[in-house]
Amino acid sequence: MGRSWSDLVVFILKRLVQLIPVLLGVIIITFFFTHIAVSNPCAIWSGPKASPSTIEACIRNNHFNDPLPVQFYYYIEGLLSGNWGVDPLFHLPVLPYLLTTFPETLELVLTATVMMIFVGIPLGVVAAASNGRIADHLVRIFYLSGWATPTYIAGVILAIGLGPLLGVTGGDFSTTSAPVPQITHMSVLDAIIALNPSATGDAIVHLLLPALALAFLNMGIATRMTRSSMLEILPLDFVKTAKMKGLGDFWVLYKHALRNALITTTTVLGVTAGTMVSGTVVIESIFKWPGIGLYAYDAITGYDFAGTIGVVIFFAIVVVVANMISDILYGILDPRVAWR
Amino acid sequence: MSLDLLPGRVVGIVGETGCGKSTLGHSIPRLLPEPPAKVKAGKIIFQGTDLLRLPKWRMPGIRGTGIGMIFQEPINSLNPAFRVGDQIAESVRIRKLRERGLMPGIKPEVKGFDYSKRELPKASDVVTGPFIPPNVSQTLKARGVPMTKEIHQEVLDFLRLVRINDPERIVSLFPHELSGGMRQRIMIAMALSGKPALLIADEPTSALDVTIQAQVLTLMKELMEEVRTSILFISHDLGVIAEMADELGVMYAGHLVEFGPVAEIFGSPRHPYTKALLRSIPNKYKDEGVLPSLSGSVPNLSHLPEGCTFHPRCPLARDVCKHKPEPPLAILPPGPQALLHKSACYFPEEVPSMP
Repeated sequence: MGRSWSDLVVFILKRLVQLIPVLLGVIIITFFFTHIAVSNPCAIWSGPKASPSTIEACIRNNHFNDPLPVQFYYYIEGLLSGNWGVDPLFHLPVLPYLLTTFPETLELVLTATVMMIFVGIPLGVVAAASNGRIADHLVRIFYLSGWATPTYIAGVILAIGLGPLLGVTGGDFSTTSAPVPQITHMSVLDAIIALNPSATGDAIVHLLLPALALAFLNMGIATRMTRSSMLEILPLDFVKTAKMKGLGDFWVLYKHALRNALITTTTVLGVTAGTMVSGTVVIESIFKWPGIGLYAYDAITGYDFAGTIGVVIFFAIVVVVANMISDILYGILDPRVAWR
Repeated sequence: MSLDLLPGRVVGIVGETGCGKSTLGHSIPRLLPEPPAKVKAGKIIFQGTDLLRLPKWRMPGIRGTGIGMIFQEPINSLNPAFRVGDQIAESVRIRKLRERGLMPGIKPEVKGFDYSKRELPKASDVVTGPFIPPNVSQTLKARGVPMTKEIHQEVLDFLRLVRINDPERIVSLFPHELSGGMRQRIMIAMALSGKPALLIADEPTSALDVTIQAQVLTLMKELMEEVRTSILFISHDLGVIAEMADELGVMYAGHLVEFGPVAEIFGSPRHPYTKALLRSIPNKYKDEGVLPSLSGSVPNLSHLPEGCTFHPRCPLARDVCKHKPEPPLAILPPGPQALLHKSACYFPEEVPSMP
């Protein structure tokens, strides 16, 4: 059958093995792009007033005079031994920094995904149920406006317009008033672990707007997919069967019809999750959210090769894992599908 | 069109494809999608209530325990995402909740389905009790809400009722793991598990292949004896109707053209369309050469011919039929059995001698 829990474990393991060639490809592409585009960034790294000897040392330390394949070998060697390179400005190691900033982004993306699921999908159901009537049009206006708004405008409006109302001034959504021990590096989760209700509330307030901005921009995909697959499912006989049992409209729509419509929506959401992580680059810059997106921006503009490749590796992992999760959910939602 | 369905009776509806049989079946529990469908006028009186005048949100209370339905295609009529046992359990749970007054809706008949000795309930009795969402189990458990175990037992009972021998295995299967005939049995079990006062069977056997068709028909026939519920049996197959129904209505182009006891309609049809239909049934024993068939096809329902809708194809048609409005479904002078027999033809007495 291919539907037992042991099959699921095998499925996950297979997918994780598939992650290796994906990562290798991503690393090769990013490495050669960065190193070919800017073959010797030492002059920039060392600053305008650097002495020739400093630049010389920099070139030597980074093997920039070696052939590219050799440089690549050094990089991979470091990568496998846990040394993901150092950031050129402060000479801080990249990996620990990524590991602390990535959870912040994950928190943002997960919150936005939850918002999309719990607002976007019901809106799609509402739109499909009132197909062609006023509620349908209102929902369409809502999600199209999210879709059509440039990321930076929606972000700036929320940060400047609504931020002060929530008590976040200066557009800086990173700081929380009460410092709590950083265990998971997710601000809300850390505050909860520290059992600090005021810090939790504060963290949630800070998280709300950036997540809302991210969700609002991507909401259309969830709503639209749900609406169209609901419209395909509503005329089917089993929906009538559910009605003829005596079930009320709510259960017919949200249990019988949506359960089947979600199969398509889940697949699309899996793809979107990957897009959303890269969408955080702009959102995090606007909200000054201390996540991997902000770091990606700094790394790329600062010719930080190690940082750039590191960020890309994390993005690739997120995309693959998000797709894996959506495939697992697909199998759970549709009993006709086996995990392979 | 006008149709009376008495408690405990089986009324067959027969007609060509596209004559509105299924629309009729769907319009009774108000299943037609609105819009585009709109029932403009008329009455659907069910247990004393005009369903057309009932607000839409009260319709679920009528369905399930009041009116049940079996659909044409068993492939599409079960939800592919849920186990069949759970799907039947849902229907059983709704009935049990209504039996105990915990969910608004018609209460199923507890002792059989014999309505003949009982007065019809008043409109005010039909839907009672406050609104309680059907699935908030925790708070309701204390109030006598049916437990999973007793529901499960009933699910198994209903599966045995439709002659499924190993219900314990079947309940945990998904619809796609079952054959068409099995799925239709499950559908029948599900519809019956609500103990509806009226069961609408919309061509329940048309999508099945012939051997399975016979099995399902035999099953339905047996079940009719066991659960005395009123049935509206829709089919395009006169043979099937003859087997199942007490009374027969013949539909043509959205109108009922003849209505009466099955034996009488088969013995002496009083509408030219019925007669033509009966003549097109192949005779088992002798080869009569070309099977007589009716020329032309059912008119487009949005461009019905003037006068009697059947006149372009009718061998008895004359000028009156083209110009006078649609003939009403009139009661005929009593035949040999003195039973109610209606026909919508201006010349019913000429039908027996129709060429």
